[in-house]
Amino acid sequence: MNALAVARIDLKRLAVRPFAWTLAGIALAMMAWQFLLGVSAFMHAQPTVPGPASGPGYVDAVVAPYLLNYIQLCLVIAPLITMQALAGDRGAQRLALLTASGASGAQIVFGKFAARLVFLWLLLIIVATMPLVLGGATHPDWGQFGAALIASALCVAALTAIGIASSAFTSEPALAATAALLIGEGLSLIDAGVRISGGEGGWLGYFALHTHLEPAMRGLMRSEDIVYFLIVVALALALAMRRVGAERERG
Amino acid sequence: MASTPALLELDHVSRRLSGHPVLQDVSFSLSRDEVLGLLGVNGAGKSTTLAIIAGVLQPDAGSVRIDGKDVNDDARTLRDRIGWVPESVPLWPELTVAESLDACGRLRGLPKSARKTASERELGRLELNDIAQRLCGQLSLGQKRRVGLAQALLHEPDLLVLDEPGNGLDPVQAAQLRERIGKLKPKRGIILSSHDLAEVEAMCDRVVILHDGRVRHDAKLDASLDARRGKLDAQFRAIVSRPASAAA
Repeated sequence: MNALAVARIDLKRLAVRPFAWTLAGIALAMMAWQFLLGVSAFMHAQPTVPGPASGPGYVDAVVAPYLLNYIQLCLVIAPLITMQALAGDRGAQRLALLTASGASGAQIVFGKFAARLVFLWLLLIIVATMPLVLGGATHPDWGQFGAALIASALCVAALTAIGIASSAFTSEPALAATAALLIGEGLSLIDAGVRISGGEGGWLGYFALHTHLEPAMRGLMRSEDIVYFLIVVALALALAMRRVGAERERG
Repeated sequence: MASTPALLELDHVSRRLSGHPVLQDVSFSLSRDEVLGLLGVNGAGKSTTLAIIAGVLQPDAGSVRIDGKDVNDDARTLRDRIGWVPESVPLWPELTVAESLDACGRLRGLPKSARKTASERELGRLELNDIAQRLCGQLSLGQKRRVGLAQALLHEPDLLVLDEPGNGLDPVQAAQLRERIGKLKPKRGIILSSHDLAEVEAMCDRVVILHDGRVRHDAKLDASLDARRGKLDAQFRAIVSRPASAAA
């Protein structure tokens, strides 16, 4: 009940903040541009593609890179949207107000995570609507489309959880955003060197977001990828809950 | 026959913050229909004491009891009996006053109809109807304090905990606040911290003076305001001017 109340308060706050709307507007404008570029490139490439059975389809050529671009954008948006979640509230005594109201650390963290995830998932739905409207004309592989969308949603959840965890450990929102950005970029680029040189990421590659997004973008939804994202979410939220829960002892 | 337990009891409460002892062996109690003033110089431990009572901080040792029940045993139920307004009033700047009260009611688990009734009651009681649709971020300090008080009273707590309620208010606002707090006293215990000895003399029935994290003075004030005048000031000065070792 309390987690839901916290989530509703934060959603309401996000809904009336110009900052959230500005971020959403910029993100959607950038994604719309990316989509138009993707469709344009796909249409120009069409005559050279031998046939739908052997060549890359609409999802391969347009949707997957487009959703990967949204993930890249979320590496920046998620820290910005989560930085105030706990850090800002701690500085303004609102975290203490929530505690005094009887909300536990877990309820506060989960409520704040849920509110921001709803915001970023709504953005993802709007982003996904753009390629969907061409679905009737392009006959996409709906399974591949679905897998790419689910993986994107899970990745967004992981980035949101990382942002919340970063926000739990400081009273400075800017510091929280920087930490979340660095962790997100770190997970995104951890195996970049190996990948560029054409090799396998090995054990390092397992930690990379890319490793777990790529199969889904090809239509392969592997349980190990789902588990990876869920572990990141669970670990980040557990750390945040532990930190907020210990607030009464720490002072 | 067993005596009725006090509304609030602090029993040998100690607390360290960043390695330094902030409260040491603090014990006092508060009855219903009583207003207790917590006095002390900056850093004496007043806000820490109030935060512990509100459940925001945990004591390192000792216990806080409400009607004889330890707050840690049934934290949720007992916290619902406490209303807390910290020195810097925590408000959501993006929400209107009415939305803010509704949010607090939601956090307290009040159903929709009860939230509406409670919000209307507090908007009326604290004369906030005119600014109910104003954003909390646009309020003056006096208005913020009234909204904070309304938030704390929404669930009709038995115990009201006010940290420096008159801080930063002009004399007119401070007098209005005193009047409002006076009206809240029946059926309730109120504990407030303040630097303003005149404010405490005017509002409180009893005074606890904290110095260096210890209770140095705990006594009822004279019934007549004339009799009180000046006495508290002399007591306070005598206590805080004593070195800690001598006071102990």
